[in-house]
Amino acid sequence: MTIRVVIGTVLIAATMMIVTFVMINEPARMPEFEAGFKGRSIEAGAALFQSSCTPCHGIQGKGIEGVGPSLNAADLFSGKRLKEFGWAGTVKDYVRSAIAGGRPRASAAFANYPQRMPTWGQEFGGPFRNDQVENVVDFVMNWEKEALAAAAAATPTPNPNAVGTDINVQLPQGDAANGEKLFTGKGPNGAYACSACHSLEPNKTVVGPSFAGLAGNAAKRKEGTSAEKYFVESIIKPNDFLVPGFNANLMQQNFGQLMDKKELADIIAYLMTLK
Amino acid sequence: MALFQLHIPILDDIKKKGLKPALLAAVDDSIVRFTAGLGINDIRGVLRGDPAPKPNPRVKPHADGFWFHMRPTYYNNLVQPLYPTFRLGWLSVYFMVFETITGVILMLFYTPSPLVAFENMLNIMSNVPLGLFMRDLHKIGAEGMVGVVCLHMLRTFITGNYKKPRQFTWFTGVILLLVTVALSFSGYLLPWDQLSLWAVTIGASMAEATPTPPPLDILGQQWFGDPQFIGTMVNNLLRGGQQFNANGLLRWYLGHVLLVPLVGFIFIGVHYYKVVLHGHSLPPESEKAGEDTAKRVPLDQRTYFMPDILTDELFLVALTTFVLVFGVTFGGYHAPLEPHADPLITPLHTTAPWYFLWLQGMLKLGDKVLWGVVAPGIIVGALVGLPYVEVGPSRRYADRRIGLSVGMIVVIAISVLTFMGTPWYAVSSSVDQEIVATLLPQTHPGPLRGTHYDQLTSGQYNAKDWGSAPTAGLKKLLKIYNDEVEHGKAKLPGVEGIMIIEDWQTGLKKITFRVVWNGGANTFSQDAYLHQDSNYGE
Repeated sequence: MTIRVVIGTVLIAATMMIVTFVMINEPARMPEFEAGFKGRSIEAGAALFQSSCTPCHGIQGKGIEGVGPSLNAADLFSGKRLKEFGWAGTVKDYVRSAIAGGRPRASAAFANYPQRMPTWGQEFGGPFRNDQVENVVDFVMNWEKEALAAAAAATPTPNPNAVGTDINVQLPQGDAANGEKLFTGKGPNGAYACSACHSLEPNKTVVGPSFAGLAGNAAKRKEGTSAEKYFVESIIKPNDFLVPGFNANLMQQNFGQLMDKKELADIIAYLMTLK
Repeated sequence: MALFQLHIPILDDIKKKGLKPALLAAVDDSIVRFTAGLGINDIRGVLRGDPAPKPNPRVKPHADGFWFHMRPTYYNNLVQPLYPTFRLGWLSVYFMVFETITGVILMLFYTPSPLVAFENMLNIMSNVPLGLFMRDLHKIGAEGMVGVVCLHMLRTFITGNYKKPRQFTWFTGVILLLVTVALSFSGYLLPWDQLSLWAVTIGASMAEATPTPPPLDILGQQWFGDPQFIGTMVNNLLRGGQQFNANGLLRWYLGHVLLVPLVGFIFIGVHYYKVVLHGHSLPPESEKAGEDTAKRVPLDQRTYFMPDILTDELFLVALTTFVLVFGVTFGGYHAPLEPHADPLITPLHTTAPWYFLWLQGMLKLGDKVLWGVVAPGIIVGALVGLPYVEVGPSRRYADRRIGLSVGMIVVIAISVLTFMGTPWYAVSSSVDQEIVATLLPQTHPGPLRGTHYDQLTSGQYNAKDWGSAPTAGLKKLLKIYNDEVEHGKAKLPGVEGIMIIEDWQTGLKKITFRVVWNGGANTFSQDAYLHQDSNYGE
């Protein structure tokens, strides 16, 4: 009998020690478990996204032009997209709301997407249970890092051949045809979209002054400066001379860091054609 | 005349004996009242293992106290060793209490609603200190309880204790067996995950097969006109509707925490009472055939409950608790939690809980009504009726050759049926699906989810080139894949197993298994996603 009492007492003490051991480890274990289940939620969300969301939002949420906008995009996570239509909550809340309740109207920024986002949450008449909505939310939110990192990588890195801010720079022979492309083109591929701000119609101010009859005016604007020289200065150091009626810093200030000499020469050659 | 008299006897005692002896006497008196008969010195004597004084104060609690009146004052020396009882009855009670304690703790954090039940589980496991521990203990306790109760009944059958005069004790035992199984099974549904929903669905659809009697005219009313009448009614009662819904979950919850435990505790009381009434029956070989001498224990044959049996039982409590706690902490036992319940997706190879696999095996034999309703009914009926039908007077093994043989055949049959209940027997899915299901099972984590994330190097692999896989984990996985593909060659000519791993998102990979046969004319593919952090409790 005594041996039973002794072993029993030891066993009770050992049990208490194990419980204490478990208790001590709980603060470390619980967040780990939560992360583990978050991982499972993302997995489930990936499968749901694949079957239900990719038809409109594209593989890996890259978007399908005119059908569904990209979700794997920096402007969603940076809050820019939310600001456009006045969403006051967090990105995650917005994603959850858009998935569960759909989007009855597109924002102005997505005017070229005529299809409306349908409701997916059961409480709004859709097919997904709450936990499924949450799975898809977790999956979409998991793009945050990737999308923001991709956007950061896409922001212009200093061009090693950039023309710089020396207005006495020697420029090669310009090609007016290429200059026109750079002037009017959109997007990051070597185009500068000058036409977005400078109209070619007489006396029409979009943001900056109209460029109608520019080549003739340019020579006269600043005394002792040729039209070409004036263009160089105006593009790479826009604040040095301002057309009366227009404020400083209205024009983008970093073209000197973006353009190389050939591009600057091309644009100037084009501008010289605007008689 | 005073309206009331205030008299504090202890003050008189203190005056008479002095402060210390009077207080000691008062404490001793309180303890005697609390223990219903044992003073401080008596308890010390029990703990020290002193021989019982005469007259023996240790028998008083059995007469005067509530808890001890349920236990015999003394056992026959012959039933004190491990044989013949193996302490299985006591262990059953232990598990009942253990489950109640862990269960009440879990109840604090659980709401029986399909909207939040699964979330509650996650909360218990990730946000409640010791929550996972309690859940694991509750689950391992449930498995242990089913096992111990079944063994207890088997032991009672083998030693023939169901015979006269203990027929009714056996009957209450059958009720307690059903209670145990009902408790375990009803608890299955509550986490509201895929595992629970589909395991319980198997049970509920069996009940749905309950036949309806032929149409009857009673007092001019037509009854049972619909042949599905009873089945539909039972189904609606169990599931709350056509499918499991909020009402169904609430019913199973209330059954689990209220109705079934209530029945259980009442019948434990009856069972215990009958044990005290009839005494512990002696090993069959120690008394004359047909005699029952359990109640006539000679003076020199007695082992008093206090202290020997009590110590023994408390020792078993300490040991079992230790084993359970150790098992869930270091033994790697964890209660599973599959994805959220989804009535629209039936996982491949859904099974009933292990103690119902024999039923699932019987269902594979054929008719749902015969094997799912009639046969289990006959089995329960046979258990209840056994002591009233098998009335041979002798409990000796040699005199019960037929009975014991039949018992063993039943045990073997249940083992075979249990095997037949598993997915290894008579599965109806196709070979290609089976190949993928081995790697990516739908009812438990399986090899792919058990492979470490870092081991899954992106690329395309063919199972037959498993030897040249870049990582050890991938090699192991492709080896399993290849073994399965080799296995399937007989049925799928020229079968090949392809595995594609793609980086899908931050910390997320997409894994595709594609089984190709007939020279690429037929394919079956299934994909899965695996996250860096995901935890399947492995």
